[in-house]
Amino acid sequence: MNWELMWDSVPTLLRGVPVTLQLVGLALLFGAAVAFAVALLRLYGNRVTERLMAAYVFVFRGTPLLVQIFLIYYGMGQFELVRSSFLWVYLREPFWCAILALTLNTGAYTSEILRGAILSVPQGQIEAARACGMSRTLLFRRIVMPVAIRQMLPAYGNEVILMVKASSLASTITLLEITGIARKIIAQSFAVFEVFIVAGSIYLLLNFLASRLIRYAEWRMTPYLRARG
Amino acid sequence: MHRHPPTNPNAPEAVLVENVHKRFGPLEVLKGVSLTAREGDVITLIGSSGSGKSTLLRCINMLEVPDEGRIVIGGEAIGLKRARGGQTVPADSRQVDRIRTRLGMVFQSFNLWTHMTILENVIEAPVHVLGVPKAEAVDRARKLLDKVGILAKAESYPVQLSGGQQQRAAIARALAMQPKVMLFDEPTSALDPELVGEVLLVIRQLAEEGNTMILVTHEMGFAREVASEVVFLHQGRIEERGPPDRVLVNPESDRVRQFLSRHLSGAG
Repeated sequence: MNWELMWDSVPTLLRGVPVTLQLVGLALLFGAAVAFAVALLRLYGNRVTERLMAAYVFVFRGTPLLVQIFLIYYGMGQFELVRSSFLWVYLREPFWCAILALTLNTGAYTSEILRGAILSVPQGQIEAARACGMSRTLLFRRIVMPVAIRQMLPAYGNEVILMVKASSLASTITLLEITGIARKIIAQSFAVFEVFIVAGSIYLLLNFLASRLIRYAEWRMTPYLRARG
Repeated sequence: MHRHPPTNPNAPEAVLVENVHKRFGPLEVLKGVSLTAREGDVITLIGSSGSGKSTLLRCINMLEVPDEGRIVIGGEAIGLKRARGGQTVPADSRQVDRIRTRLGMVFQSFNLWTHMTILENVIEAPVHVLGVPKAEAVDRARKLLDKVGILAKAESYPVQLSGGQQQRAAIARALAMQPKVMLFDEPTSALDPELVGEVLLVIRQLAEEGNTMILVTHEMGFAREVASEVVFLHQGRIEERGPPDRVLVNPESDRVRQFLSRHLSGAG
Protein backbone atom coordinates (compact mmCIF):
# COMPACT_ATOMS: atom_id res chain seq x y z
CA MET A 1 0.00 0.00 0.00
CA ASN A 2 1.48 3.29 -1.13
CA TRP A 3 0.23 5.75 1.48
CA GLU A 4 2.06 8.68 0.03
CA LEU A 5 0.52 8.20 -3.39
CA MET A 6 -2.88 7.84 -1.81
CA TRP A 7 -2.44 11.06 0.09
CA ASP A 8 -1.15 12.87 -3.00
CA SER A 9 -4.07 11.74 -5.13
CA VAL A 10 -6.63 13.34 -2.79
CA PRO A 11 -6.41 16.94 -4.04
CA THR A 12 -6.33 15.80 -7.67
CA LEU A 13 -9.39 13.62 -7.20
CA LEU A 14 -11.20 16.36 -5.34
CA ARG A 15 -10.89 18.47 -8.46
CA GLY A 16 -13.39 16.07 -10.02
CA VAL A 17 -16.01 16.80 -7.37
CA PRO A 18 -17.46 19.93 -9.07
CA VAL A 19 -18.00 17.98 -12.31
CA THR A 20 -19.63 15.11 -10.43
CA LEU A 21 -21.87 17.55 -8.56
CA GLN A 22 -22.82 19.32 -11.78
CA LEU A 23 -23.70 16.04 -13.45
CA VAL A 24 -25.77 14.88 -10.50
CA GLY A 25 -27.35 18.25 -9.77
CA LEU A 26 -28.40 19.04 -13.32
CA ALA A 27 -29.57 15.50 -14.02
CA LEU A 28 -31.66 15.48 -10.84
CA LEU A 29 -33.12 18.87 -11.69
CA PHE A 30 -34.04 17.99 -15.28
CA GLY A 31 -34.95 14.47 -14.20
CA ALA A 32 -37.44 15.83 -11.67
CA ALA A 33 -39.14 17.84 -14.41
CA VAL A 34 -39.25 14.79 -16.67
CA ALA A 35 -40.54 12.62 -13.83
CA PHE A 36 -43.27 15.10 -12.98
CA ALA A 37 -44.47 15.29 -16.58
CA VAL A 38 -44.29 11.53 -17.08
CA ALA A 39 -46.10 10.71 -13.84
CA LEU A 40 -48.89 13.17 -14.68
CA LEU A 41 -49.27 11.86 -18.21
CA ARG A 42 -49.42 8.31 -16.92
CA LEU A 43 -51.95 9.07 -14.22
CA TYR A 44 -54.17 11.65 -15.81
CA GLY A 45 -53.42 11.47 -19.53
CA ASN A 46 -55.30 9.56 -22.18
CA ARG A 47 -54.57 6.02 -23.23
CA VAL A 48 -51.97 7.08 -25.81
CA THR A 49 -49.83 9.19 -23.48
CA GLU A 50 -50.20 6.58 -20.78
CA ARG A 51 -48.82 3.85 -23.07
CA LEU A 52 -46.06 6.07 -24.40
CA MET A 53 -44.88 7.02 -20.94
CA ALA A 54 -45.08 3.42 -19.74
CA ALA A 55 -42.90 2.43 -22.70
CA TYR A 56 -40.38 5.14 -21.87
CA VAL A 57 -40.16 3.98 -18.27
CA PHE A 58 -39.89 0.38 -19.38
CA VAL A 59 -37.00 1.09 -21.76
CA PHE A 60 -34.98 3.36 -19.50
CA ARG A 61 -35.39 1.21 -16.40
CA GLY A 62 -34.84 -1.98 -18.31
CA THR A 63 -31.54 -1.14 -20.04
CA PRO A 64 -28.16 -0.44 -18.43
CA LEU A 65 -27.28 3.20 -17.95
CA LEU A 66 -23.90 2.51 -19.54
CA VAL A 67 -25.62 1.36 -22.73
CA GLN A 68 -27.80 4.46 -22.68
CA ILE A 69 -24.75 6.69 -22.31
CA PHE A 70 -22.98 4.97 -25.21
CA LEU A 71 -26.06 5.11 -27.43
CA ILE A 72 -26.46 8.82 -26.83
CA TYR A 73 -22.78 9.75 -27.07
CA TYR A 74 -21.73 7.51 -29.96
CA GLY A 75 -25.11 6.94 -31.55
CA MET A 76 -26.66 10.38 -31.95
CA GLY A 77 -23.88 11.71 -34.16
CA GLN A 78 -24.73 9.11 -36.79
CA PHE A 79 -27.89 10.95 -37.73
CA GLU A 80 -27.51 13.83 -40.12
CA LEU A 81 -30.72 15.28 -38.70
CA VAL A 82 -29.14 15.54 -35.25
CA ARG A 83 -25.84 16.87 -36.57
CA SER A 84 -27.51 19.61 -38.55
CA SER A 85 -29.86 20.69 -35.77
CA PHE A 86 -29.15 23.15 -32.98
CA LEU A 87 -29.07 20.18 -30.63
CA TRP A 88 -25.67 19.23 -32.00
CA VAL A 89 -24.10 22.10 -30.10
CA TYR A 90 -24.97 20.13 -26.97
CA LEU A 91 -24.96 16.56 -28.15
CA ARG A 92 -21.39 16.65 -29.40
CA GLU A 93 -20.29 17.52 -25.87
CA PRO A 94 -19.74 14.46 -23.68
CA PHE A 95 -20.89 16.52 -20.69
CA TRP A 96 -24.35 17.14 -22.12
CA CYS A 97 -24.60 13.59 -23.43
CA ALA A 98 -23.98 12.35 -19.90
CA ILE A 99 -26.53 14.83 -18.52
CA LEU A 100 -29.08 13.65 -21.07
CA ALA A 101 -28.54 9.97 -20.28
CA LEU A 102 -28.61 10.52 -16.53
CA THR A 103 -31.68 12.74 -16.83
CA LEU A 104 -33.66 10.23 -18.86
CA ASN A 105 -32.58 7.44 -16.54
CA THR A 106 -33.44 9.15 -13.27
CA GLY A 107 -36.56 10.63 -14.86
CA ALA A 108 -37.87 7.13 -15.50
CA TYR A 109 -37.18 5.90 -11.96
CA THR A 110 -38.38 9.06 -10.26
CA SER A 111 -41.60 9.14 -12.26
CA GLU A 112 -42.46 5.76 -10.80
CA ILE A 113 -41.60 6.89 -7.28
CA LEU A 114 -43.78 9.95 -7.78
CA ARG A 115 -46.61 8.00 -9.38
CA GLY A 116 -46.66 5.59 -6.45
CA ALA A 117 -46.60 8.48 -3.99
CA ILE A 118 -49.49 10.21 -5.73
CA LEU A 119 -51.50 6.99 -5.72
CA SER A 120 -50.80 6.52 -2.02
CA VAL A 121 -52.47 9.80 -1.02
CA PRO A 122 -55.44 8.65 1.07
CA GLN A 123 -58.67 8.69 -0.91
CA GLY A 124 -60.54 10.15 2.05
CA GLN A 125 -58.39 13.28 2.05
CA ILE A 126 -59.00 13.70 -1.67
CA GLU A 127 -62.75 13.29 -1.19
CA ALA A 128 -62.74 15.84 1.61
CA ALA A 129 -61.08 18.32 -0.75
CA ARG A 130 -63.56 17.60 -3.52
CA ALA A 131 -66.43 17.96 -1.09
CA CYS A 132 -65.16 21.47 -0.26
CA GLY A 133 -65.48 22.43 -3.91
CA MET A 134 -61.80 22.28 -4.82
CA SER A 135 -61.16 22.07 -8.54
CA ARG A 136 -58.94 19.29 -9.85
CA THR A 137 -55.91 21.54 -10.20
CA LEU A 138 -56.34 23.16 -6.81
CA LEU A 139 -56.82 19.76 -5.21
CA PHE A 140 -53.66 18.53 -6.88
CA ARG A 141 -51.64 21.57 -5.87
CA ARG A 142 -52.85 21.89 -2.28
CA ILE A 143 -53.51 18.33 -1.16
CA VAL A 144 -52.12 15.66 -3.49
CA MET A 145 -48.68 17.08 -4.24
CA PRO A 146 -47.75 18.19 -0.70
CA VAL A 147 -48.67 14.76 0.64
CA ALA A 148 -47.10 12.88 -2.27
CA ILE A 149 -43.78 14.73 -2.11
CA ARG A 150 -43.43 13.98 1.59
CA GLN A 151 -44.39 10.40 0.90
CA MET A 152 -41.77 9.97 -1.84
CA LEU A 153 -38.82 11.48 0.01
CA PRO A 154 -37.34 8.28 1.47
CA ALA A 155 -37.46 6.51 -1.89
CA TYR A 156 -36.20 9.61 -3.65
CA GLY A 157 -33.26 9.78 -1.26
CA ASN A 158 -32.31 6.36 -2.54
CA GLU A 159 -32.50 7.64 -6.08
CA VAL A 160 -30.23 10.60 -5.29
CA ILE A 161 -27.63 8.25 -3.85
CA LEU A 162 -27.87 5.98 -6.86
CA MET A 163 -27.37 9.00 -9.12
CA VAL A 164 -24.22 10.09 -7.31
CA LYS A 165 -22.79 6.65 -7.96
CA ALA A 166 -24.18 6.38 -11.49
CA SER A 167 -22.46 9.62 -12.45
CA SER A 168 -19.17 7.69 -12.37
CA LEU A 169 -20.21 6.07 -15.66
CA ALA A 170 -19.72 9.44 -17.33
CA SER A 171 -16.00 8.71 -17.11
CA THR A 172 -16.48 6.23 -19.94
CA ILE A 173 -17.15 9.05 -22.35
CA THR A 174 -14.02 11.04 -21.45
CA LEU A 175 -15.51 13.15 -18.67
CA LEU A 176 -13.06 13.99 -15.93
CA GLU A 177 -15.25 13.71 -12.91
CA ILE A 178 -14.04 11.80 -9.84
CA THR A 179 -13.84 8.39 -11.50
CA GLY A 180 -12.45 9.84 -14.74
CA ILE A 181 -9.62 11.51 -12.87
CA ALA A 182 -9.02 8.32 -10.88
CA ARG A 183 -8.62 6.33 -14.07
CA LYS A 184 -6.23 8.94 -15.42
CA ILE A 185 -4.05 8.77 -12.30
CA ILE A 186 -4.12 4.97 -12.45
CA ALA A 187 -3.06 4.99 -16.10
CA GLN A 188 0.09 6.83 -15.03
CA SER A 189 0.79 5.19 -11.66
CA PHE A 190 -0.83 1.73 -11.91
CA ALA A 191 -1.93 2.22 -8.29
CA VAL A 192 -5.40 0.82 -8.88
CA PHE A 193 -6.10 -0.10 -5.29
CA GLU A 194 -4.91 3.11 -3.63
CA VAL A 195 -6.55 5.52 -6.04
CA PHE A 196 -9.90 3.77 -6.16
CA ILE A 197 -10.01 3.60 -2.37
CA VAL A 198 -9.65 7.36 -2.26
CA ALA A 199 -12.18 7.85 -5.07
CA GLY A 200 -14.61 5.49 -3.33
CA SER A 201 -14.19 7.40 -0.07
CA ILE A 202 -15.08 10.65 -1.80
CA TYR A 203 -18.29 9.10 -3.13
CA LEU A 204 -19.02 7.79 0.33
CA LEU A 205 -18.61 11.26 1.77
CA LEU A 206 -20.82 12.81 -0.92
CA ASN A 207 -23.53 10.26 -0.28
CA PHE A 208 -23.25 10.74 3.44
CA LEU A 209 -23.99 14.42 2.88
CA ALA A 210 -26.76 13.63 0.38
CA SER A 211 -28.53 11.26 2.76
CA ARG A 212 -28.23 13.79 5.58
CA LEU A 213 -29.73 16.46 3.34
CA ILE A 214 -32.67 14.24 2.45
CA ARG A 215 -33.16 13.28 6.08
CA TYR A 216 -33.21 16.95 7.00
CA ALA A 217 -35.73 17.73 4.24
CA GLU A 218 -37.90 14.88 5.49
CA TRP A 219 -37.67 16.16 9.04
CA ARG A 220 -38.52 19.71 7.99
CA MET A 221 -41.47 18.69 5.85
CA THR A 222 -43.18 16.29 8.23
CA PRO A 223 -43.82 18.12 11.50
CA TYR A 224 -47.09 16.20 11.68
CA LEU A 225 -45.20 12.91 11.95
CA ARG A 226 -42.87 14.23 14.61
CA ALA A 227 -45.89 15.52 16.50
CA ARG A 228 -47.22 12.03 17.00
CA GLY A 229 -47.03 10.43 20.40
CA MET B 1 -86.29 16.21 26.00
CA HIS B 2 -85.77 18.64 23.14
CA ARG B 3 -87.50 17.80 19.90
CA HIS B 4 -86.78 19.30 16.53
CA PRO B 5 -89.77 21.23 15.15
CA PRO B 6 -91.51 19.45 12.29
CA THR B 7 -90.79 20.39 8.70
CA ASN B 8 -92.09 23.79 7.68
CA PRO B 9 -93.92 23.05 4.42
CA ASN B 10 -93.46 26.62 3.23
CA ALA B 11 -89.68 26.78 3.65
CA PRO B 12 -87.70 26.79 0.40
CA GLU B 13 -86.29 23.49 -0.80
CA ALA B 14 -82.61 23.26 0.11
CA VAL B 15 -82.02 19.81 -1.36
CA LEU B 16 -84.22 17.95 -3.77
CA VAL B 17 -83.44 14.39 -4.76
CA GLU B 18 -85.61 13.00 -7.52
CA ASN B 19 -85.85 9.36 -8.46
CA VAL B 20 -82.14 8.68 -8.01
CA HIS B 21 -80.72 5.37 -9.19
CA LYS B 22 -77.15 4.28 -8.57
CA ARG B 23 -75.46 1.12 -9.69
CA PHE B 24 -72.03 -0.23 -8.74
CA GLY B 25 -71.37 -2.81 -11.41
CA PRO B 26 -74.17 -5.35 -11.27
CA LEU B 27 -75.31 -4.13 -7.85
CA GLU B 28 -78.09 -1.56 -7.82
CA VAL B 29 -77.57 0.35 -4.60
CA LEU B 30 -80.27 2.98 -5.09
CA LYS B 31 -83.45 2.03 -6.90
CA GLY B 32 -85.26 5.29 -7.33
CA VAL B 33 -85.06 7.41 -4.21
CA SER B 34 -86.66 10.81 -3.80
CA LEU B 35 -86.09 13.16 -0.92
CA THR B 36 -86.76 16.78 -0.07
CA ALA B 37 -84.93 18.76 2.56
CA ARG B 38 -86.42 22.16 3.22
CA GLU B 39 -84.46 24.89 4.93
CA GLY B 40 -84.22 24.15 8.63
CA ASP B 41 -84.92 20.46 8.18
CA VAL B 42 -82.84 17.84 9.91
CA ILE B 43 -83.31 14.61 8.03
CA THR B 44 -81.76 11.44 9.35
CA LEU B 45 -81.22 8.52 7.04
CA ILE B 46 -81.29 5.19 8.78
CA GLY B 47 -81.22 1.59 7.64
CA SER B 48 -78.99 -1.44 7.85
CA SER B 49 -75.60 -1.43 6.16
CA GLY B 50 -75.90 -1.82 2.42
CA SER B 51 -79.29 -0.13 2.38
CA GLY B 52 -77.86 2.73 0.31
CA LYS B 53 -78.07 5.53 2.85
CA SER B 54 -74.42 6.60 2.55
CA THR B 55 -74.57 6.35 -1.23
CA LEU B 56 -77.65 8.54 -1.24
CA LEU B 57 -75.87 11.14 0.86
CA ARG B 58 -72.83 11.01 -1.43
CA CYS B 59 -75.04 11.48 -4.48
CA ILE B 60 -76.23 14.80 -3.08
CA ASN B 61 -72.77 16.37 -3.45
CA MET B 62 -71.80 14.27 -6.46
CA LEU B 63 -69.11 12.22 -4.72
CA GLU B 64 -71.16 9.53 -6.40
CA VAL B 65 -72.81 10.47 -9.66
CA PRO B 66 -76.34 9.07 -9.94
CA ASP B 67 -77.01 6.90 -13.00
CA GLU B 68 -80.51 8.32 -13.23
CA GLY B 69 -82.50 11.00 -11.53
CA ARG B 70 -82.03 14.61 -10.59
CA ILE B 71 -80.32 16.48 -7.78
CA VAL B 72 -81.39 20.07 -7.17
CA ILE B 73 -79.50 22.17 -4.63
CA GLY B 74 -81.11 25.44 -3.58
CA GLY B 75 -83.18 25.51 -6.75
CA GLU B 76 -80.23 24.78 -9.04
CA ALA B 77 -80.31 21.43 -10.82
CA ILE B 78 -76.94 19.73 -11.22
CA GLY B 79 -76.36 19.14 -14.93
CA LEU B 80 -75.57 15.56 -15.84
CA LYS B 81 -74.69 13.99 -19.15
CA ARG B 82 -73.80 10.60 -20.56
CA ALA B 83 -70.12 9.97 -21.16
CA ARG B 84 -68.95 7.89 -24.11
CA GLY B 85 -68.67 4.81 -21.90
CA GLY B 86 -72.36 5.13 -21.06
CA GLN B 87 -71.86 6.22 -17.45
CA THR B 88 -73.33 9.47 -16.18
CA VAL B 89 -70.94 12.33 -15.45
CA PRO B 90 -71.43 15.95 -14.41
CA ALA B 91 -71.98 18.13 -17.45
CA ASP B 92 -69.94 20.94 -15.94
CA SER B 93 -67.38 20.19 -13.24
CA ARG B 94 -67.23 23.88 -12.32
CA GLN B 95 -70.92 23.85 -11.50
CA VAL B 96 -70.37 20.84 -9.26
CA ASP B 97 -67.40 22.54 -7.55
CA ARG B 98 -69.49 25.65 -6.99
CA ILE B 99 -72.45 23.73 -5.60
CA ARG B 100 -70.18 21.74 -3.31
CA THR B 101 -69.06 24.95 -1.63
CA ARG B 102 -72.66 25.28 -0.41
CA LEU B 103 -72.74 21.72 0.97
CA GLY B 104 -70.63 20.92 4.00
CA MET B 105 -69.67 17.27 4.28
CA VAL B 106 -68.55 15.42 7.39
CA PHE B 107 -67.16 11.93 6.86
CA GLN B 108 -67.17 8.82 8.97
CA SER B 109 -63.36 8.76 9.09
CA PHE B 110 -62.91 12.55 9.49
CA ASN B 111 -60.58 12.84 6.47
CA LEU B 112 -58.66 15.77 7.84
CA TRP B 113 -55.63 16.76 5.77
CA THR B 114 -52.83 15.21 7.76
CA HIS B 115 -50.08 17.55 6.57
CA MET B 116 -51.86 20.65 7.87
CA THR B 117 -52.57 21.87 11.38
CA ILE B 118 -56.17 21.96 12.55
CA LEU B 119 -56.35 25.69 11.90
CA GLU B 120 -54.87 25.23 8.42
CA ASN B 121 -57.44 22.53 7.75
CA VAL B 122 -60.25 24.89 8.64
CA ILE B 123 -59.03 27.90 6.62
CA GLU B 124 -57.87 25.90 3.59
CA ALA B 125 -61.06 25.88 1.54
CA PRO B 126 -62.35 29.33 2.55
CA VAL B 127 -59.02 30.88 1.50
CA HIS B 128 -58.27 28.85 -1.61
CA VAL B 129 -61.73 28.04 -2.89
CA LEU B 130 -63.82 31.02 -1.81
CA GLY B 131 -61.00 33.57 -1.80
CA VAL B 132 -61.65 34.79 1.73
CA PRO B 133 -58.74 36.96 2.98
CA LYS B 134 -56.52 34.88 5.22
CA ALA B 135 -56.84 37.06 8.33
CA GLU B 136 -60.60 36.95 8.10
CA ALA B 137 -60.58 33.18 7.55
CA VAL B 138 -58.32 32.65 10.56
CA ASP B 139 -60.60 34.80 12.67
CA ARG B 140 -63.65 32.84 11.64
CA ALA B 141 -61.83 29.52 12.02
CA ARG B 142 -60.86 30.33 15.59
CA LYS B 143 -64.48 31.13 16.44
CA LEU B 144 -65.60 27.84 14.93
CA LEU B 145 -62.91 25.86 16.72
CA ASP B 146 -64.01 27.53 19.93
CA LYS B 147 -67.58 26.61 19.17
CA VAL B 148 -66.74 22.93 18.74
CA GLY B 149 -64.51 23.10 21.82
CA ILE B 150 -61.03 22.53 20.38
CA LEU B 151 -59.59 26.01 20.03
CA ALA B 152 -56.66 24.86 22.17
CA LYS B 153 -55.79 22.37 19.44
CA ALA B 154 -55.65 24.93 16.62
CA GLU B 155 -51.91 24.55 16.08
CA SER B 156 -51.88 20.77 16.53
CA TYR B 157 -51.82 18.24 13.73
CA PRO B 158 -54.65 15.78 13.21
CA VAL B 159 -52.58 12.81 14.49
CA GLN B 160 -52.29 14.53 17.85
CA LEU B 161 -56.05 14.61 18.34
CA SER B 162 -58.45 11.97 19.59
CA GLY B 163 -61.07 10.71 17.16
CA GLY B 164 -63.75 12.85 18.75
CA GLN B 165 -61.57 15.95 18.51
CA GLN B 166 -60.72 15.16 14.90
CA GLN B 167 -64.37 14.83 14.02
CA ARG B 168 -65.17 18.11 15.71
CA ALA B 169 -62.35 19.71 13.72
CA ALA B 170 -63.84 18.21 10.56
CA ILE B 171 -67.20 19.73 11.47
CA ALA B 172 -65.52 23.11 11.95
CA ARG B 173 -63.84 22.69 8.57
CA ALA B 174 -67.19 22.06 6.92
CA LEU B 175 -68.84 24.98 8.75
CA ALA B 176 -66.04 27.33 7.69
CA MET B 177 -67.50 27.32 4.19
CA GLN B 178 -70.77 28.67 5.63
CA PRO B 179 -72.69 25.96 3.82
CA LYS B 180 -76.42 26.05 3.18
CA VAL B 181 -76.70 22.36 4.02
CA MET B 182 -74.59 20.06 6.17
CA LEU B 183 -74.21 16.43 5.18
CA PHE B 184 -73.06 13.95 7.84
CA ASP B 185 -72.01 10.47 6.80
CA GLU B 186 -72.08 8.32 9.93
CA PRO B 187 -70.11 10.93 11.87
CA THR B 188 -69.77 8.84 15.03
CA SER B 189 -69.37 5.33 13.63
CA ALA B 190 -65.57 5.39 13.72
CA LEU B 191 -65.40 6.69 17.28
CA ASP B 192 -64.80 4.95 20.56
CA PRO B 193 -68.07 4.83 22.50
CA GLU B 194 -66.89 7.33 25.10
CA LEU B 195 -66.11 9.89 22.37
CA VAL B 196 -69.47 9.69 20.59
CA GLY B 197 -71.19 12.04 23.00
CA GLU B 198 -68.94 15.04 22.42
CA VAL B 199 -69.52 14.88 18.65
CA LEU B 200 -73.27 14.39 18.96
CA LEU B 201 -73.36 17.39 21.27
CA VAL B 202 -71.89 19.59 18.53
CA ILE B 203 -74.24 18.21 15.89
CA ARG B 204 -77.21 18.68 18.19
CA GLN B 205 -76.23 22.30 18.73
CA LEU B 206 -76.10 22.84 14.96
CA ALA B 207 -79.55 21.30 14.62
CA GLU B 208 -80.96 23.55 17.32
CA GLU B 209 -79.49 26.60 15.59
CA GLY B 210 -81.70 25.84 12.62
CA ASN B 211 -79.07 24.50 10.20
CA THR B 212 -80.32 22.36 7.39
CA MET B 213 -78.78 18.94 7.79
CA ILE B 214 -78.95 15.49 6.31
CA LEU B 215 -77.48 12.90 8.58
CA VAL B 216 -76.72 9.23 8.12
CA THR B 217 -76.53 7.67 11.55
CA HIS B 218 -76.88 4.55 13.62
CA GLU B 219 -77.60 6.52 16.78
CA MET B 220 -81.35 5.99 17.01
CA GLY B 221 -81.86 7.89 20.23
CA PHE B 222 -80.03 10.83 18.76
CA ALA B 223 -81.99 10.62 15.51
CA ARG B 224 -85.19 10.79 17.49
CA GLU B 225 -84.09 13.92 19.29
CA VAL B 226 -82.64 16.00 16.48
CA ALA B 227 -84.56 14.91 13.39
CA SER B 228 -87.45 16.69 11.81
CA GLU B 229 -87.88 13.68 9.57
CA VAL B 230 -86.56 10.15 9.67
CA VAL B 231 -86.09 8.24 6.42
CA PHE B 232 -85.62 4.49 6.57
CA LEU B 233 -83.92 2.91 3.58
CA HIS B 234 -84.07 -0.73 2.75
CA GLN B 235 -82.25 -2.27 -0.23
CA GLY B 236 -82.05 0.97 -2.14
CA ARG B 237 -85.63 2.08 -1.59
CA ILE B 238 -87.34 4.23 0.99
CA GLU B 239 -89.26 1.86 3.19
CA GLU B 240 -90.76 4.40 5.51
CA ARG B 241 -90.45 8.09 6.27
CA GLY B 242 -92.02 10.49 8.70
CA PRO B 243 -91.57 12.35 11.97
CA PRO B 244 -89.16 10.57 14.33
CA ASP B 245 -91.76 9.93 17.00
CA ARG B 246 -93.74 7.89 14.52
CA VAL B 247 -91.06 6.11 12.49
CA LEU B 248 -88.86 5.34 15.47
CA VAL B 249 -91.62 4.52 17.93
CA ASN B 250 -94.61 3.25 15.98
CA PRO B 251 -93.39 2.30 12.52
CA GLU B 252 -95.85 0.94 10.00
CA SER B 253 -93.31 -1.32 8.34
CA ASP B 254 -92.29 -4.63 9.89
CA ARG B 255 -88.79 -4.16 8.49
CA VAL B 256 -88.39 -0.91 10.39
CA ARG B 257 -89.74 -2.59 13.50
CA GLN B 258 -87.21 -5.42 13.19
CA PHE B 259 -84.40 -2.97 12.52
CA LEU B 260 -85.32 -0.91 15.56
CA SER B 261 -85.55 -3.90 17.84
CA ARG B 262 -81.96 -4.68 16.89
CA HIS B 263 -80.68 -1.10 17.19
CA LEU B 264 -82.75 0.50 19.88
CA SER B 265 -81.89 -1.81 22.72
CA GLY B 266 -81.14 0.40 25.65
CA ALA B 267 -81.41 3.63 23.71
CA GLY B 268 -84.29 5.95 23.00
